[in-house]
Amino acid sequence: MKDLLIVEDDPEMQEFYRDMLKGEQFSVTYASDGEEGLKEMKGKKYDLVILDILMENITGDRLFALLRKDKHYKEVPVIMASSLDKQTYQCFQALGKVSFLEKPFTKEMLITEINKYL
Amino acid sequence: MFTYNKDTFLNINKIIFSSLDIREVYQTMSNELSKIIDFDRLTITLITEDNNLYEAFVVQSKTREDTYIKEGDLYPMKDSLMEKVVQSRKPVIVDDTAKSQFATDVFLFKEGIRSRLGFPLVYKGCIMKHQKLFHIDEKKYPIEFKERIIGSINFGSRQKQHYSKKHVDFVSKIAPQLAMAIENTRLFNRIKDAEEKYRNVVESSPDIIFECTSDGKFFLINPSVEKILGYSVHYFYDAGGSILSLCHTDDQGQVLREILQLLHGEKDSLMDFEFRVVHKKGNIVWLSLEAIPIKQDNKIIGIEGFCRDITDRKKLDELKNSLIRDVTHELKTPVAKMEMAIDMYRRSFAIESESAGEKELHLYNLLQNNVSRLKNIIRNVLDISRLESGVERLNISDFTFVELVDQVIHELNPIAIQKGNTITHQIPATIILKADREKMYYLLVNLVGNAIKFTSHGRIEISFMITPYGFEVSVKDTGKGLNEEAIKHAFDKFYKETPSIPGSGIGLAISKNIVELHNGCIWAESGGKGKGAKFTFRLPTCHLMKQST
Repeated sequence: MKDLLIVEDDPEMQEFYRDMLKGEQFSVTYASDGEEGLKEMKGKKYDLVILDILMENITGDRLFALLRKDKHYKEVPVIMASSLDKQTYQCFQALGKVSFLEKPFTKEMLITEINKYL
Repeated sequence: MFTYNKDTFLNINKIIFSSLDIREVYQTMSNELSKIIDFDRLTITLITEDNNLYEAFVVQSKTREDTYIKEGDLYPMKDSLMEKVVQSRKPVIVDDTAKSQFATDVFLFKEGIRSRLGFPLVYKGCIMKHQKLFHIDEKKYPIEFKERIIGSINFGSRQKQHYSKKHVDFVSKIAPQLAMAIENTRLFNRIKDAEEKYRNVVESSPDIIFECTSDGKFFLINPSVEKILGYSVHYFYDAGGSILSLCHTDDQGQVLREILQLLHGEKDSLMDFEFRVVHKKGNIVWLSLEAIPIKQDNKIIGIEGFCRDITDRKKLDELKNSLIRDVTHELKTPVAKMEMAIDMYRRSFAIESESAGEKELHLYNLLQNNVSRLKNIIRNVLDISRLESGVERLNISDFTFVELVDQVIHELNPIAIQKGNTITHQIPATIILKADREKMYYLLVNLVGNAIKFTSHGRIEISFMITPYGFEVSVKDTGKGLNEEAIKHAFDKFYKETPSIPGSGIGLAISKNIVELHNGCIWAESGGKGKGAKFTFRLPTCHLMKQST
């Protein structure tokens, strides 16, 4: 089973993820902010990371930049989920294996995005 | 005593016309006059406009200093010598004030005046029906020649029965000139007053008032310019300073274009044209310009108008816009979550399956519709605040216009058909635009979408026209039409004719912004309620590529 890490500081959003991923063949771990997410990733290598962008202490885009510098996470696919416009984060495309999911999204949209990589 | 002397007579005439204000030469004139006619008192009295009063225009008394009739004061016409003179238009002689029927004579008798001669002053000349200070158009304001009695010249003597026909004869020789000089004086004073009023208005105006030639040389600019921009009027008069060179570099092109359009007669006026100017101290000042061309013999020789300092308003606007932007932005997350919750609700209760209850489906649709409406409003508000903030730049590319129009029609046709409407266009296939395609798409979707919204079982027509001022695209429908009020406010943010109309009321405001970003203009026309509407935007030809072959 593939390991997914979802870094999302909004408990309600976490609830949506739980509902959408219910019954799917993934093992999902949740981190409630950037720092916690970073800690999680140091301890274990996940197959895919979903990042919220607007979070306190470490924002998603900053976290993403840190991941791409880490030798273990250089190639790990990342999905950035945010209510910000996609084009705002277009510049990250260059760092590879990243896609953007604009909130709100449906279960189908989320699954399609994940299946692109796994 | 009466001595007629031709030289004295000519001299009097010369004196009368030697000054624009008869009062300035009155003393000299009366000295000359006394060489011919003996008098102890000389007055000129003038009728007021309503004919009920007269003004003691000038008074000269040798008998008393504190004379009853005082210069500059108004007196009732009733029972005065003047009344008789004015009514009869003939000279009136009072031989003995002690026995006179005129009310004024009682007082003059006390001052030692025993006999009098009142002579009518009749003005023979042109009278303008409407007096306007500047630019008198003779076709509009006909000049009339007529005789008009304006007052009288009155002599008084200490002796009884002093005045006779020979005095009358002589006065009749100078009276017409005197009347003309008095009218000139009055006209001169009116012009002086008006000029002073005009100057006061200009000098004290908080706005910059200006007149300049077509090559930008100022022949009028008021002191407000120093308060607003920090440069004194001399900078503009003598140093040849121009407002254009003070403009913010980003706005210079647009300012120049607008002014050239005025000078070339492509526009009749500039209204509320906003641009930025750099103050002498370096800070940005926002000005709103209203201007019209100055014409001479049907040729435009310059422009005149005023500039208002709207910096404070702009700051407030920006504050308001950023507040709207931030609040709207904050709404995005909860609305996104609501939408996701609705989706979760749909899946959890299998709303779309046959087992779901009718009520659940109804509630689901209601939530869904309203959330998507809310989302639309949020997107539109963010769109317009981005457009208004000026950060939005055009992404110009070349594209075949008819393809864009076809795409719009293809997209909107299903809704149009639902309402029984047909959409047609007459766009030549050769037209290639050089514009922001995405924005043009939005603009057309908005205009055609609106036409569909307000039309049922009718026609919607998209047309294209090249005019001397650019090219025009119109969307015309046979729908509900607009009243005058709606035409005026159609492009205002959040304007809706009635609150029940669906939509955020912001689409046309965004459309206007898009057109203005392309340096164009947009307007609405309608024959009135029920007579359809036509929305047209015009863009300069720089957005039109040479027609492809």
